[in-house]
Amino acid sequence: MKKSCIAMLLAGGQGSRLYALTQNVAKPSVPFGGKYRIIDFPLSNCANSGIDTVGVLTQYRPLQLNSYIGTGQPWDLDVTDGGVYILPPYLGPGEQGSWFTGTANAIYQNMAFIESFDPENVLILSGDHIYKMDYAKMLQEHLEHDAACTIAVLQVSMEEATRFGILNLGEDGFVNQFEEKPAHPKSDLASMGIYIFNWPKLRKYLIEDENDPESSKDFGKNIIPKMLGAGEKLWPYRFDGYWRDVGTITSLWDANMDMLSTTLINLYDPAWPINSRSPVCPPHYVGEKAEVIHSIVTEGCEIDGHVENSVLAPSVRVAEGARVVYSVLMPGAVVEKGAVVEYAIIGENTVVEANAHIGAAPDGSADWGVATCGPDIRIRSGAQVPAAAMVYTGEEV
Amino acid sequence: MMRNYHGIIFAYHSHPELRELAAARTAASLPFCGRYRLIDFPLSSLRNAGILNVGVIMQRDYQSLLDHISSGKAWDMSRKSGGLRMLPPFGLPEYHTGDYNGTVEALNAVSTYIQSIEEDWVILLLGNLCANIDLQAAIRQHERSGAEATAICTDHTPVGEHHRLIPGQDGLVERLSLYREGDGEGYASLEGYIFRKDKLLEIMDRCRSENLFLFHRNALNLFLADGGRMAIYVHSGYANAIKTAEQYYQVSMDMLLPENRRQIFPPDRPVRTKTHEEVSTYYGEEAVARNSLIADNCILEGEVENCILFSGTRIEAGAKLRNCIIMRGCTVGRGAELDCVIADKYSDFASGVRLTGNPKLPVVVPKGSKI
Repeated sequence: MKKSCIAMLLAGGQGSRLYALTQNVAKPSVPFGGKYRIIDFPLSNCANSGIDTVGVLTQYRPLQLNSYIGTGQPWDLDVTDGGVYILPPYLGPGEQGSWFTGTANAIYQNMAFIESFDPENVLILSGDHIYKMDYAKMLQEHLEHDAACTIAVLQVSMEEATRFGILNLGEDGFVNQFEEKPAHPKSDLASMGIYIFNWPKLRKYLIEDENDPESSKDFGKNIIPKMLGAGEKLWPYRFDGYWRDVGTITSLWDANMDMLSTTLINLYDPAWPINSRSPVCPPHYVGEKAEVIHSIVTEGCEIDGHVENSVLAPSVRVAEGARVVYSVLMPGAVVEKGAVVEYAIIGENTVVEANAHIGAAPDGSADWGVATCGPDIRIRSGAQVPAAAMVYTGEEV
Repeated sequence: MMRNYHGIIFAYHSHPELRELAAARTAASLPFCGRYRLIDFPLSSLRNAGILNVGVIMQRDYQSLLDHISSGKAWDMSRKSGGLRMLPPFGLPEYHTGDYNGTVEALNAVSTYIQSIEEDWVILLLGNLCANIDLQAAIRQHERSGAEATAICTDHTPVGEHHRLIPGQDGLVERLSLYREGDGEGYASLEGYIFRKDKLLEIMDRCRSENLFLFHRNALNLFLADGGRMAIYVHSGYANAIKTAEQYYQVSMDMLLPENRRQIFPPDRPVRTKTHEEVSTYYGEEAVARNSLIADNCILEGEVENCILFSGTRIEAGAKLRNCIIMRGCTVGRGAELDCVIADKYSDFASGVRLTGNPKLPVVVPKGSKI
């Protein structure tokens, strides 16, 4: 059955700048915003945009991601003639196949999957962005401009522009130059790493790029410049909603804090639900002495302590006398009596024992940062974890 | 072992004492504890024991039940063979227009279904019982006993009227004491029974020919009079059936006690339910919540104490709620004050509204009210 557009979701990255949080899981399956994992955003966007076929390219630590995605049912992606497919690297006869060596190579190695749907267009997505976007609108512009490739762009400040891939436009409004992290940006349109390609065109450039020994097999570094060089029509699709890359501890913490504001990104909109695979837990319980202020809390939590400006995932426990402030607590995290967690991220099922102290409020110093405790560890009773610290095993504190 | 058991859930009761709560639903589909329906308890108990072939007996007002249960997927009962079957009264004569006169009549109305059951044993469960019963343990004990039937009982004293089963010296049920309240001899029945299917069909048939409808008064007494051997399994956790609005209120409020929740929601026997995809609950700058159970997708700006909030409720700043049960999609406006109120789904309370009930007589606000 011919498809107008299918999506390929790049979910194989390690997310090494999330350190302890991605020791055992791929970045897209890092918990986010209370109920979600990062990958819920692109998957839900696909389903809401009417894209019912999604290939998820996995490579690094895929176990949890595989079981999380399952049949795709939570995102209504369990459909016949499509659905969500986990695509790991694979070997073929002889010397064929290898680990994915770059974003473009990952798609190249899965060309047979794409061809099986005979799509007119392919949407390329990253598994580490938080945003709500109607890909159908982007596809419409792509078709209206008869583009070989349409790139979603976000207007950023000129200072920020030095940290992004920047698109420069010609007078006709099409892209005429792509610069990766330019020192002196000529435009403020940053690529969001979201592309729609005309599939026959992309196919041609993927094969060419694969045969280029100099190429690093990357969309931003190789495919887009090659297409520009060949005079293809590249259209910028302007997006003006909320969008965050959550590739670092600071950006992950920041974006979680953004979830406390419904004006930045409204997750309560029934017309654009962000779905997730959530365990069935009882409603959360707040005890007689609990105080919960300006926070989001979800099912299965038991709160007897003080929670302020924080994001709590399912089944978090905050004991009486504990304080959780400006922090992100991932599923099953426990903060015992008298412990303090401030400006911190606590990994899944990690226990902060009584009277331990994690993190510190910003003091204006340059080396201040969010403290992070990895998943499945115990922070010993009374231990001190300073600001900006990264705890992997709990033994180090 | 579990492959030889088949579940039957009685979901047809629409107790009038539930008042407006049962206006368009049966007791089994009462919303409960922020996100559940009462029938989730028997369905989950069966599922957690690995019993996936289940019939649900219903009669009228079953739209909400059908919506909730759907294919049975939430309990893994959407199977290629077997699985969940909804049982409307297809076996009733056409002149029968009223409610079932009793459980035996309900069983007889679906007797062709029961005859078609391939398993040798059936487990009968109430659809409106709030209890997390370990059926695996019950079956183990049943099989050890060698009895033809096992009654699932509690050693607690349930709220409201109930039947008691009094064991003889051999530990098997000797006699029944019907329609009791408070403490008494023997054990209170939770109206859950494991029965040899052939024996159950035999008693159903006898009751039909003698025009008898009642399960305990008629069928069980016949069974015992015939020398039927019925063992007793004592469920020791929380258990209460809900038949009146006051019981609904009391049992709901019981869930605020951590010990009761531990017994109702043990991690190794989760209570499963249809999942609505929801977002987290947001607490505003001025929100105050104490001793309350709060489901997802609420926006809480006001004060709640001793409350149960279902998903999608909005409590605006300055609103004060005490001892309330607020169901899905309700809005409580600025400065409204509610005490001992059960607000059915999608009710709105305008700013400044005051409404006070009493734990023995909670105010029941019908679904979709605008106050």
